[in-house]
Amino acid sequence: MFCFNTAEVDYHRILERCVPLIKKNLKLEITVVTNFETYKQLKPLGFVNYKFIEPELGNTKNGYEWRNVDRHMAYDLSPYDVTLVMDIDYFPFTDNLRQFLDTDYAFLVSKDAHDLTDVGSFDMRKWSMIDMVWATVFVFRKGPEARRVFDMVKYVKQYYHHFNEMYRIRAKNYRNDYAFAIALQQANGFATYDTMPLSIATLPPGCKVIEMTDTGIAWQYSDQINYTEHQDVHVLNKELADV
Amino acid sequence: MDIGELKKQSDLSYNIAVAKRNALEKAHSRLIVVYREHIFRADAETICLVRTLKETMEKFFVLDTNDNPVEIIDPTEFLDLLIARNQEAISSYHRMSKTFGKRGD
Repeated sequence: MFCFNTAEVDYHRILERCVPLIKKNLKLEITVVTNFETYKQLKPLGFVNYKFIEPELGNTKNGYEWRNVDRHMAYDLSPYDVTLVMDIDYFPFTDNLRQFLDTDYAFLVSKDAHDLTDVGSFDMRKWSMIDMVWATVFVFRKGPEARRVFDMVKYVKQYYHHFNEMYRIRAKNYRNDYAFAIALQQANGFATYDTMPLSIATLPPGCKVIEMTDTGIAWQYSDQINYTEHQDVHVLNKELADV
Repeated sequence: MDIGELKKQSDLSYNIAVAKRNALEKAHSRLIVVYREHIFRADAETICLVRTLKETMEKFFVLDTNDNPVEIIDPTEFLDLLIARNQEAISSYHRMSKTFGKRGD
């Protein structure tokens, strides 16, 4: 996982909610890529490996700093043969993801998301000329094939402005979702590629998390209040750090 | 029934519909199963296919979720896994659906 605090968001507090769930449900060894400033803010989380890097700056989301551009380094930074890369705001309330480490695929990522509020559709196809993937969660097995994907991601990142224009992507900031989608398409000869058949259950940015336990999450969207238990959830509202 | 009560009932129905949709999606996520390094859906179609093939062959080939062919050398083990995962997911959905009617009480 990658975790870097910004002036606006204490991402370390989201990480503190996520790590216990990984330990409880996925039972995997955890490596967090972070910087020393963020690390200093973290409360003790038990056995967790830390790798320190200085995040690349300059990307923004909705006018705020967004330190998300280092994901392409996952291959080099991972100490594992098979790695599950997760956003820190993806909360594994089940062990569903663990089984994907037992496949022989070199690289697996999901193309679908499910809006838990039923308000937006997360149908990203209309916002670009390419099918977006959700780099929120992906699995890779070290070897030439995965290496090729990550090398391609680095290339896409280097010339992101060009690729962004070429694929007519509406969002002009750097998004891993598009960088990986482009890299996978390019690296696979513009043909189809293997995917993880998961629809990532997601709470959209405008949705407020009102409670979170070790089994589930409750939210409010407009006058709608709902909850889910024993279902992995990706939370896009970073105010979650304050819940 | 006044308009306020109608709106309340409408909101409740909507919340139940969203909860049902989410519970179904949760079940679909749980139906995904990895067997011998390949990904399958433990849905009715896969179970019926495996059971049908198992009746006439000791070993056979099926496609995983990425349309890659997989040889199934132990159909009984595979079918047992599919059925177990299918019933785990659907029974969880069933338990959840029982709570829908209680919403708004």
